[in-house]
Amino acid sequence: MHVYPMSSYTPAAISFILFTLAAAGFLTCGSLVRMLMFLELMLNAANIAMVTLGPATASQAYAAMLFAIAAAEAGVGLALIITLASVFKTLETGNIKGLRG
Amino acid sequence: MILAASIYFFAALAAAATLLMVFQRNPVKAALLMLTALLSTAGLYLAFNAQLLAVLQIILYAGAIMTLFIIALTVTPQAWRDRPSPGRARLVLGLAAAALILAELLKVSAGLRQLALSPGFAETGALALARELFGRFAFQFELLSLVILASIVGAVTLAAKKGG
Repeated sequence: MHVYPMSSYTPAAISFILFTLAAAGFLTCGSLVRMLMFLELMLNAANIAMVTLGPATASQAYAAMLFAIAAAEAGVGLALIITLASVFKTLETGNIKGLRG
Repeated sequence: MILAASIYFFAALAAAATLLMVFQRNPVKAALLMLTALLSTAGLYLAFNAQLLAVLQIILYAGAIMTLFIIALTVTPQAWRDRPSPGRARLVLGLAAAALILAELLKVSAGLRQLALSPGFAETGALALARELFGRFAFQFELLSLVILASIVGAVTLAAKKGG
C-alpha cells in the first residue's frame, strides 16, 4: 500500500533544506538568542528526517524522546544566555571578548 | 494526493518562515516566524501520519519552548539594543557554507530515490508508541529523566548565582 506518491528522497530533501536554512541563519546572525532559535530549528529539521525515514514506531518513539531533550537544551541555553546578558551587558557574539570565571 | 499536496505546502511554509527569519531584524518577529516554522512542522508530522508527534510538537515546541524564548527576550533588554548587523563577508560566507552543506547532503542521499516511502506508516497510534517507550526503549526513556533533572539543576544553579 503506497499512500505517498513520492520516494524517500522527498522527505529527506525537505529535512535537509530546513536544516541548511537554519544553519545559514546560525552562521550569519550575531545575537545569542537568535543563535539558540536557529539551533532549535536545526534539531527540528533533524527530527523530521528521523520520523519520516526510520521504521515507523521506533523512530517516532525516539522523536518523542528528542522533544524532551530539545526542551531541556532550550532551558539550559536560555539560563546561560540570561546569565551572560547580566555579566557582559550584551548579547552580540562580537562584543563578548573574554570568558573568565 | 491531498497528503502529498499538504506535505509540499507545509514544507514550503516552514522553509519560507526560516528564510524570512534569517533576514528579520526584530527579535520578536523572528520568534513568531520560528513559531510558524514549528507549527508547519507539526502539520508535516500530521501529513506523515505521526499524529501523536504533531500534538507533542504543538505542545512542547510551539507552546513550551516558544514561551521560554519570548520570556528570555523580555528579560534581556540587551537583545533589543543590539543591532544585528553582520558584515557582508560573514553573510556571504555563512550562506555559501550552508549551500555547500545542502549540496553535499542531497548528493549523498541520492540513493534514496530508489526507495519508496515505507508503507508501514499508515497506522501508528499512541498505544504502539507507548509500548515502545515503556518496553523496548524503557532504559533510554528513564535515562531521559536524568537528562531533564540535570538540566533543571543546571538552570537553577545558573539562576541562583545571580541573586546570591
